[in-house]
Amino acid sequence: MARITHGIATSHIPAIGAMIDQGRTDEPYWRPIFAGYDWTKQYVAQERPDVVILVYNDHASAFDMKIIPTFAIGCAEEYRPADEGWGPRPVPPVPGHADLAWHIAQSCILDEFDITIINEMEVDHGLTVPLDVIFDSADNRTPDKWPVKVVPVAVNVVTYPPPSGNRCWMLGEAIARAVESYPEDLNIHIWGTGGMSHQLQGPRAGLINKEWDQNFLDLMTSDPEKLRTIEHIEYLRETGSEGIEMVMWLIMRGALQGTVTELHRHYHVPCSNTALGHLVLKNEVADTPVA
Amino acid sequence: MPRDVAAYLAEFDDIPGTRVYTARRARQGYHLNQFAMSLMKEDNRTRFLADQRAYLDEWQLSDEIKQAVIDRDYNRLLDLGGNIYFLAKLFSTDRLSFQDAVSTMTGMTKEEYFQMMVGGGRSPHGQRSIKGQY
Repeated sequence: MARITHGIATSHIPAIGAMIDQGRTDEPYWRPIFAGYDWTKQYVAQERPDVVILVYNDHASAFDMKIIPTFAIGCAEEYRPADEGWGPRPVPPVPGHADLAWHIAQSCILDEFDITIINEMEVDHGLTVPLDVIFDSADNRTPDKWPVKVVPVAVNVVTYPPPSGNRCWMLGEAIARAVESYPEDLNIHIWGTGGMSHQLQGPRAGLINKEWDQNFLDLMTSDPEKLRTIEHIEYLRETGSEGIEMVMWLIMRGALQGTVTELHRHYHVPCSNTALGHLVLKNEVADTPVA
Repeated sequence: MPRDVAAYLAEFDDIPGTRVYTARRARQGYHLNQFAMSLMKEDNRTRFLADQRAYLDEWQLSDEIKQAVIDRDYNRLLDLGGNIYFLAKLFSTDRLSFQDAVSTMTGMTKEEYFQMMVGGGRSPHGQRSIKGQY
C-alpha cells in the first residue's frame, strides 16, 4: 500500500538553479545556502522515496493568462524544463508517475475536490529547483537523471484570489486519502515549495519578516491548525507580495494528517530577494489508516 | 461560506508600495502579459531585441504600455496591469537577474538594494498598512 512517509518544505528560488547551472555554488554568498541542504540530501538518499508529490506554482510558464487552474495535477509520463527567458535549464527531463497521478486525480474528484488534469506541460524553476537542492550530488551537480518519479501539483498563487490556506490543507487531506487507496507499495514524499517572506515588485520590494517566518516554521510542527486560518491579507502585509506562496506548504502539511517530527530546519536570509526556508518533517502516522 | 469579494479586495489597496494582481489588473494587462509570455521563445526574443517598437506593434497594446516596455519602467508596467511573474520574461530577455531587475523598482541603486538584502532585507516595520501606518 502506498504511504506518505515524509513532508518536505523548501523555497524554490530561481537564482539557486542559475548558480547550479553556472557552477557557482561555492561562492561565499551561496555556500551557506547550499550547505543547509546537506543533511537533507544524505537523509533522502538513504530514505529512497519512490515518488515525490511536488506541490509548486507555475511562474507563468506552462500556464499563461488564457487558462488559470487553481489546482492542477500533472498526469504525464515526463515533463521537460521550460524556457523562462534564458533558454531551458540544462537539467534532465522529470519522470512522471502517470498511474498514481491519474489515481489521485480520480480520487480527489470523487472526494468532491475538483482538480485540473494536465497531460502535457513544461515545468519551470518552481519544480526543478527543489529537485536540485535535494537530489544533486554533494558538490551541487545536477544528476544525469532524477532518482524519483514526480507527480506535479500546480497551484495558482499568481492571479488573485489564490486558494485559501484552509482549502490547500483540505486538498492535502484529499491527496492523503487518495494515496492511502493506491494498492502499490510505494514510499511517497510530499513536498510543499515556494515561500518564505519575499516581495519581488514595487517600491516595497525586498521585504523580509524573519520573526513571522520563524513562527510559521515553528507552527508547522507544534500547532499547524493555526496556519489554516491565516488570511491572504496577512501573508501580503507581513511577508511581502510573494509570501503568499506559503499556502502551498499547507497542502503538504494537510497531507501528513497529524503528528510529525521536525527532523531538519534551514532558514537563511538573503537568497537573492528572499528569505529561504526549508523543513524536513517525518510523518508519525504513516502506517495508520487515514480517517 | 461565501466571502464578500469587495471587502476582500478593499484591503489590498492599503499595502504600501505593492500592486496585488487582482482581476482588474489581470484584465487591464492581459495583452501586456501575453506579450511577455511570447518572450519564452528564442526567436521572439531575437526579433523583439532587433526592433522593439515593431515587435510591440504586433500586440494589442496602448502607446503608453509600449513606451513603458521600451523604458523598462517596471512600476509603470505594474500600474498598467503587468504581473511580475510575466514581466520576468522581459528582464530575462535583457539578461538581468531577478535581483537586479527588482531593485529598479525601489528607488535604490542595484548596489544599495543588494546591501539592504545582505543586511536582512527591508523591515516590515511601518510597511504593512498605509492607513494604520504600522
